[in-house]
Amino acid sequence: MTIITNSTSKIFESFQNRTSHSNSFTRIAVIFSMKIKSALSYKSSLFMVIALNLVTILMYFFFSRLNPDMTIFGMSATYFEFAFVGLALQMVVGTSLSTVNGNIYNEILSGTWPSILIHFNIVEYALGTSLAGVALSSISIFVALSIGTLFLGLEFHFVFRELILIILLLILILLSHIVISMLFSAYCIWYKKNSGLVALIYRLSKTFSGIVFPIVLLTGFTGILSRTLPLTYGLQSIHEILYASDANFNLILYNFLILLGFIIIIGGLSCFLVSKSIKRSKITGSVGWY
Amino acid sequence: MVNNPGLDDVTQSFVNRETTNLNFLKGVGATFKRNIKIIMQYKIILLIGFFNTFIYISLAVFIAKLVPGEEIAADGYIVSSFSFIIAGALVMDLTTKILMKSLNSFVSEQKQGTFETLTTLPFGLKKYCLSEIFFEMVYAIVLFIVYNIPIFFIFNVFYDVTINIFSILTLLLLVFALLLLFFSLSLLAANFTILIKRGKEVAMVIIGILQLLSGSIFPLYLFPQWLKIVAYTSPFTHAVRAIRFCLFGGGNITDSIVWISIIILIVSAVFLYFLFNWTHKKIYRRIQLKGTVHEY
Repeated sequence: MTIITNSTSKIFESFQNRTSHSNSFTRIAVIFSMKIKSALSYKSSLFMVIALNLVTILMYFFFSRLNPDMTIFGMSATYFEFAFVGLALQMVVGTSLSTVNGNIYNEILSGTWPSILIHFNIVEYALGTSLAGVALSSISIFVALSIGTLFLGLEFHFVFRELILIILLLILILLSHIVISMLFSAYCIWYKKNSGLVALIYRLSKTFSGIVFPIVLLTGFTGILSRTLPLTYGLQSIHEILYASDANFNLILYNFLILLGFIIIIGGLSCFLVSKSIKRSKITGSVGWY
Repeated sequence: MVNNPGLDDVTQSFVNRETTNLNFLKGVGATFKRNIKIIMQYKIILLIGFFNTFIYISLAVFIAKLVPGEEIAADGYIVSSFSFIIAGALVMDLTTKILMKSLNSFVSEQKQGTFETLTTLPFGLKKYCLSEIFFEMVYAIVLFIVYNIPIFFIFNVFYDVTINIFSILTLLLLVFALLLLFFSLSLLAANFTILIKRGKEVAMVIIGILQLLSGSIFPLYLFPQWLKIVAYTSPFTHAVRAIRFCLFGGGNITDSIVWISIIILIVSAVFLYFLFNWTHKKIYRRIQLKGTVHEY
């Protein structure tokens, strides 16, 4: 028993050394590598997710053979190219949306959440886990893009400036979904159960953000609903960059500011609510031990 | 490991326990009672489930608007793309619910550490699997009906369907055969979920492949010839085709598309059930060697 206690305390000590005498970036890197290692230990799961994403892409490829008419911002595009952008983005958005909340719920279930709280603050944990999730789900995008380009006739042309704008938008899209996930993790920490709302928002984004059909089809309530989802703005801007003849920052400025505002407001609110939940769990729950 | 006599004794004791003649119906009743109590703890998820169904059907509705002329022809009938895609989406919705709920229940037990306890009950793992999946299937059917009734009114689903009594009866028979197939498929998939502990992913991959091959959002003539052959090796493809034929083409039991589909579904269900039986003991022994069940 003494041997076990000694070795366990050594592990904790080493972990503490790695995290307490370090800056935020190092701690985010620790979480990142921890989550990557953990995900890679479930290789079968990783392969299954990639396979599923490919199946989804293939399904819309065959649907595109019905020749749906597509006009995006006055320019005609093939349906498959249009849907591919949305579906690829959906893969990383889904991950950034579900990662923080899902990981916290799993930590609570497996009893490791209190020890995580000793070493990391919630923002570090959110960024570390989400970056790991996004890095892994990006594999699906590269695999799908390779298959699409080689076998399904997919073609994308953009210049360096457009690439920079897309990366900028991608960062904002990811951050806006990470803060939503943080917001719902407050519920998860407070009640120690999953609200199921993250999955609901994912489905809403999947349907009403213009991933597989243009949002011009949405009218009335569904149109309003679409405008409450950050992915709508991000995806609209990415489509604008890809299909406009002269893409520049001014073209995406409006949607850029909306996404930025969304991140600041929801991010601030989530930090406040999560800290309240953690405070409560420290008083009433098992975290009080630490 | 295999030569460990102590472990063999434990295995033998499990086998003995599993053959204990405990009243099966009582066990099923207990499983139902326990699961209903758990479900009632998560009322908000029940409500969210309705919105999820609504969103899923909405996606199908908007995709249908993209089809040129908003009409699709298949198996000698022409129908609006809306009805064609909605029919596929509804079949997918029902079967996804069954498979997802079945596999998630096992993963949930494993995550919370209650799976080992359930495994070692005198009721036996196999009977537990049967009763758990039977419950999840009934639960999925109830949810499917409750969630979709308002959706039928919201979207005016099947506004252009003209169906006679024979087609309705055939449709019920088809759905019954489809449920049998998914009962067996869930049992088999649960076996592998117990082993690799990744129920959600297993379910999603199975559903994804079945959905792609069945042509749930497009007619199968769009497939290249080789993929058409692959598609027709899936019993689910026959089921979706036959259900659509009953709904839109006035199909009934006398049509070859329908009766062949029913036979394929039943034969596949029986085959998968035997496969479950065959793999069950092997997988159970494997988790005893690799997992935590040997501790009991």
